[in-house]
Amino acid sequence: MALNETTRQLCTAALEDLLRRCDDVTAAMIAVRDGRPFAEKIRGKIEPGKFAAMASSLAALGQSVMRDLGAGMLDHVLIESVEGKLVIANVPGSGGLLILSVLARREARLGLVLGHTKTCALSAGAAIS
Amino acid sequence: MTASHKLLFIGEPGAGKTTCIAAVSDIPPVVTDVDCTDELALRKPTTTVAFDYGELALGGEDRLLLYGLPGQARFKFMFDIVREGLLGVVVLVDGSTEFAVQGLRETLETYAGDVRELPLVIALNKQTAPSDVLLRQCRALLEQYGLVAPIVPVDARRRADIVRLFELLFILLDGEADIQAERGSPQWH
Repeated sequence: MALNETTRQLCTAALEDLLRRCDDVTAAMIAVRDGRPFAEKIRGKIEPGKFAAMASSLAALGQSVMRDLGAGMLDHVLIESVEGKLVIANVPGSGGLLILSVLARREARLGLVLGHTKTCALSAGAAIS
Repeated sequence: MTASHKLLFIGEPGAGKTTCIAAVSDIPPVVTDVDCTDELALRKPTTTVAFDYGELALGGEDRLLLYGLPGQARFKFMFDIVREGLLGVVVLVDGSTEFAVQGLRETLETYAGDVRELPLVIALNKQTAPSDVLLRQCRALLEQYGLVAPIVPVDARRRADIVRLFELLFILLDGEADIQAERGSPQWH
């Protein structure tokens, strides 16, 4: 598995596909596990560097909590606020190297957001493996 | 009555923050390390991306809550998450490399504005006998950022060394309380 310009383009294409399929998704980012952006598609004003760092912190905390509770490996983190939903998921096949973050409007159906997130993560994983 | 006191460890990646907390914590520390994916991997295999957390009993019901933040500036937002109720800050510096001063500079560049009002100790790790030159450079850097803090050599793996840092912070805290009392302001608790 290699992170290079080709895999970045393939990941970007997976993110574009996600945004095309789900209007309520306002931002989608693939970041490396230690908090740096790799590919992103963002509608509006979100600073990619900070988004990537925050996503990696949340994923690591989620993993730490689940490990501590004896609940196994992290699959995804879900946060809901008054204004929106955020899903952070591992990219399968990346060996824990990449995480996908998807931000959606509050009106978005949770099942759809989770489904689209999984599909996008699988596409990204296939692209890099 | 139970009292919890919150202390923070900051410093460049690899300075010894995770090691410090592991050395003194009474509980298995909460660790949020992941494998490095950038040039830092040449120096160390993993890096903290959220925070380290440990606890130390102070006697009675009192506890020290110990937080260690990631060393990279991109994680500065974590400071806002832990800042409330902070009693003091330890800045770890890897004193064994030629980049020690550069590491301290990067930490101060990121956090000087946030730690200015807090008791502060600079801990030179991996350096049992820091040279006069290194100490002078560190003092000059602190001055440059308008900070005053003792600089002490430590071995982050030694519990006694870390406890000494805490004692120093509490001495600074007492001094601050005296000053506040003279000014008629509320004292530290």
